[in-house]
Amino acid sequence: MLRSLRKYGFIYSLFIKNSLMSQMEYRVNFLMGLLVETSYLFAKFLYVIIVYEAGLTLDGVPIDAILLFIGTYTLMTGLYWGLFAINFVQIPEHVRTGSLDLLLTKPISLQFMMTLRNVDFGLAIPNVLGGVTMIVVGWRRLGLPADAASIGGFIFFLVLGLFVTYTLFLIPQLLSFWFIQIAAVNDISNGLFELNNMPMMIYSKWIQRIGVFVIPVLLITNFSPLFVLDRLHPGLFLWAILSPILLLGITRWIWSKAIRNYNSSGG
Amino acid sequence: MVIHVDQLSKSFDYYKKETGIRNSVKNLFHREKLTKDAVNKVSFDINEGEMVAFLGPNGAGKTTTLKMLSGILYPSGGSAEVLGYTPWDRKNDFKKQFSIVMGQKNQLWLDLPASDSLYLNKCIYEIGDQKYKDTLDELVTLMDVRHLLHVQVRRLSLGERMKMELIAALLHRPRIIFLDEPTIGLDLVSQKNIREFLKAYNHEFRTTLLLTSHYMKDIEDLCKRTIVINQGKLVYDGEIRKINEVMNEKKRMKLTFSAIVERKDLAVMGSIKEYSGHEVILEVERTKFKEYSRMAMDHFPVIDLNLEDIPLEEAIARLYEQPEPQG
Repeated sequence: MLRSLRKYGFIYSLFIKNSLMSQMEYRVNFLMGLLVETSYLFAKFLYVIIVYEAGLTLDGVPIDAILLFIGTYTLMTGLYWGLFAINFVQIPEHVRTGSLDLLLTKPISLQFMMTLRNVDFGLAIPNVLGGVTMIVVGWRRLGLPADAASIGGFIFFLVLGLFVTYTLFLIPQLLSFWFIQIAAVNDISNGLFELNNMPMMIYSKWIQRIGVFVIPVLLITNFSPLFVLDRLHPGLFLWAILSPILLLGITRWIWSKAIRNYNSSGG
Repeated sequence: MVIHVDQLSKSFDYYKKETGIRNSVKNLFHREKLTKDAVNKVSFDINEGEMVAFLGPNGAGKTTTLKMLSGILYPSGGSAEVLGYTPWDRKNDFKKQFSIVMGQKNQLWLDLPASDSLYLNKCIYEIGDQKYKDTLDELVTLMDVRHLLHVQVRRLSLGERMKMELIAALLHRPRIIFLDEPTIGLDLVSQKNIREFLKAYNHEFRTTLLLTSHYMKDIEDLCKRTIVINQGKLVYDGEIRKINEVMNEKKRMKLTFSAIVERKDLAVMGSIKEYSGHEVILEVERTKFKEYSRMAMDHFPVIDLNLEDIPLEEAIARLYEQPEPQG
């Protein structure tokens, strides 16, 4: 088990290295990517400014907490697109063109190869840096303690959110094994992720319940800030731990069905 | 025996759509589902160290069979054992013992030098440092590509890229190699280089090779045995040189005349393949060619006579039309 983890860890580090080297081969594209993503980031800052100027408070949460929520969302956007989505969006293409063939013959987890093989630094870097900056500023303005428990808890829920992101947004892509083209499903799933660009308290109770318990998309970026703001109920705490495990099981099950349904192309 | 295939079948569902937008709209609501038997109850065995050609026209089921034997596809019926494993169980121990090379698909990262992708394969296949170094050294020497190891893959020619793909496929010293059109699109020199390499590699390591190719030269140079399939069914399994014998032992007789000879006068000797008045190519029974040669010399103004076998491509093309297995 430990040996296997070490092997996968090392190979993942090679994926990261190879992706970075590949992207740096195209200097202009690499730098433009960073620039464009940084521009988007500034657009997000505008959100924050508008919310500040409106003097909005949400469900008793102080205005500075907006920075924590939007910062976490921005950080997660960088991680989601940089680490996962860049691979996920290629799955339908792999299925349509049959380029999955050679990956299937490698003595390593196919899911690992297919979903984590590429890392997009142009998408990840600006959002991660911008997100972390907003979180740090919000944290300080709120006067939150910078102790191990708070920071550790915040990171713990971030990691859980990352697991939820991976599993929840992989499932729609797996539909391509049956339907090949799934652009409409992609639009819906991207729309779902966007639900996180504001704290979940702005939504009605019913939307919150669906977004937490049915399709736990709101769990991705809201639970870390809610934890440090001391507004996470014990029930939600438990759900935050259970849901990634549940989703991982569902994803693995759909994955095995999907791969069995793979028909390659040509030949 | 390293490969045992028994009644292996694979069928695919597909839909038909007539031309035009009206039929596209109709298809939105109702689709006529059809099933194609890509591979239909194919059986054969292959021994260790054999180099076997897998022939058939486009869509015959060759690639589908290779994909089932390498575990890429699940079959619809039948069974197969490769090195004692059921391929579609996709066990890692099995995957470490074979390789598949497809002329139209690549595993190397196009934007990086091949050396980076090869190193990734080393880690995936868990090849020891020294073994990796020795194998790579040997393969780049055999392929004569040492100077290209550090060039971005997308900047390599098709032939050079295929050599690198082969190296990537052989790094872990597979016991079986499935090759699906490995020389497709390559120039004659590159094709020859790849063939020579495969021959040398098989000779040195007794690696089992199952090869599909549309280039007869690949087949003739590399394989003694050939398996021919058509429309998913096996139509021949045996030695390549015996295909002609199976095809009723026919011979080609080429006659050149000093004066024009009427076509109808020649037809009695066999079927006319080509005719130009001064020249004719006849297909005659092997057992009768002496009699017909004499007849031709006696009755027509023959100035040249040549006898040759039916070209292999043609014999194989005729095999495609055979309904029942031969050989």
